[in-house]
Amino acid sequence: MVRRKNAFCYLMVAPMLALVLVLGVYPMLQTLGMSVVQYDLMRIAREGTPFVGLENFRQICAEPRFWIAFRNTLVFVAIVVGCVVALGLLVAQVLNMDFRGRGVLRSLILVPWVTPPVVSSAIWIWMYMADRSPINHVLMSLGLLHAPIRFLTDATKVWGPFSVPMGAVSSVRIWNGLPFVTVMLLAGLQSIPHEVYEAAEIDGASSIAKFRHITLPMLGPVLSVLVTLLTIGGIGHFEMNYIMTLGGPKDLTNVLSVLAYQSAFTFYRFDLGAAISAIILLSTGAVAAFYIRAQLRATAAG
Amino acid sequence: MSMRAQSATMPWQSRRARRTAKGLIAALFMAAVLVFVLMPFYWMLKSSFQTNKEILAMPPIWFPRTFSLEAYEKAMKVIPFTRYIMNSLFTAMATTLISTSLAAMGAYALARYRFPGDTLVLVIVMFTQLIPAITRLFPIYFTLKGLGLLNSYQGLIIAYTSFSLPYAALILRGYFQGSYPLELEEAALIDGCGYFSAFLRIVLPISIPGIIAVATFAFLGAWNDFLWSSILLTRGEMKTIQVGIRDFMGEFGGAQRANAFMASCVMTTVPAVILFRIAQKYMVQGISAGAIKG
Repeated sequence: MVRRKNAFCYLMVAPMLALVLVLGVYPMLQTLGMSVVQYDLMRIAREGTPFVGLENFRQICAEPRFWIAFRNTLVFVAIVVGCVVALGLLVAQVLNMDFRGRGVLRSLILVPWVTPPVVSSAIWIWMYMADRSPINHVLMSLGLLHAPIRFLTDATKVWGPFSVPMGAVSSVRIWNGLPFVTVMLLAGLQSIPHEVYEAAEIDGASSIAKFRHITLPMLGPVLSVLVTLLTIGGIGHFEMNYIMTLGGPKDLTNVLSVLAYQSAFTFYRFDLGAAISAIILLSTGAVAAFYIRAQLRATAAG
Repeated sequence: MSMRAQSATMPWQSRRARRTAKGLIAALFMAAVLVFVLMPFYWMLKSSFQTNKEILAMPPIWFPRTFSLEAYEKAMKVIPFTRYIMNSLFTAMATTLISTSLAAMGAYALARYRFPGDTLVLVIVMFTQLIPAITRLFPIYFTLKGLGLLNSYQGLIIAYTSFSLPYAALILRGYFQGSYPLELEEAALIDGCGYFSAFLRIVLPISIPGIIAVATFAFLGAWNDFLWSSILLTRGEMKTIQVGIRDFMGEFGGAQRANAFMASCVMTTVPAVILFRIAQKYMVQGISAGAIKG
């Protein structure tokens, strides 16, 4: 019986596992391999792919652009994760209230989730056109602005790693990520039993006290899952930064994935691209390892 | 404490006042969020119905004075729109079929049975799902190039499956775990049902909602992909709609033909939104059951 069960399980798992290994794990190992050889398409015909050790890593570390992209990635992740979680918490709270039209609102808020990243980037580029931007138009009509904001091109106002284009691109990612965060948090909120709040109300707890002492702790597991997923996704984020600005102006929105992609497909230096990818792999891998361990423990315990 | 004192003097008044204030703040906040969320869609839609002259006016015109579908006609001609849509549709559907069926099998075994190595399999799938695609991009590109699969449906489907399979497997695993009691299969097995037929005849039919949700997500992931198709497709007639839109934005002057460009964006988004709407009721339950449990 046990042997038949095991045979059944292996048969069921085998096709999936085979594909995941071939299309997932093996390419990641190949990327690590590519990062320690010379893989320059301009020289590959003559010189092949000799082993160079950590030379590629030395080269990217000597490159200021790499450090700019590195810093931008951290800032991008911090802005996006912080804002989208805070905003999602508030939106989920409101959508968890009882009012008419709640269902419609819940559906409407989901739309950016399914909008293709290329289209999202395109619409926002259009919204961000300095002269024709509805945002600028409103702000200027209200007298809050004298000159239009050049959302995606202004390289003059830079505060350390923060800049107008960085803010503009991050907002698009926040816009795009908000639905997923809201759905997850709403599901979390709905799993908190009403009685807990009712008991707190009888004891005279204020809204803020209820949020701090009931909602936040009860959402803890969902929040940590979200922050982990968003952080990993943010470190590897590519589409919006690539499509909207190509990492510009002056690398103000350049992030690691975009730099890796450009090193490879624009400059044919797949070795440098692989080295940057390897850094993304190791950093997200470390976060993922902690996350997976925590998830497995939680399942084993519960 | 002061609140309690207050409510002792005029209990209904203060509570109602506080309620109204809270409701008002919530409504205002929600209105602001809705503007943020929906404004871009309004802007896209209204631009697609305007004439080009009206679109390029400064300051911008918020409500179309003319209403024309000319932009949609134009959009179909600037890029081979129908062909691109068909390419996307076909590759996304094939990806959905492959990844959902393989994921359903694997996820079922992982969710419902313990067997030697099950944790290892789960860890491998989770790890692959979590790590960003850029870490697999270059080797898969060279492998597919070596196999002569650039600019081919097969190449795209293979690349899409690389991210959609682990994703589908994890959501379905959560779904299979949480949706019905363990006794279900035990009863079936005692009744003389084999493992395969318990899966095929009992579990699959009642899992349709979760499978639809996962299939939708697999489809949307492939339909929306830009990263993979941008490197695997170089020839015109094989391009997917996402790459086509990107070309439109760059080479074909999104600005001079802004209305046609916005129309093509509308036509690319609408199928995704409709599909999402249809699957939505299955989705939230499927996703929340799956994702939270990892």
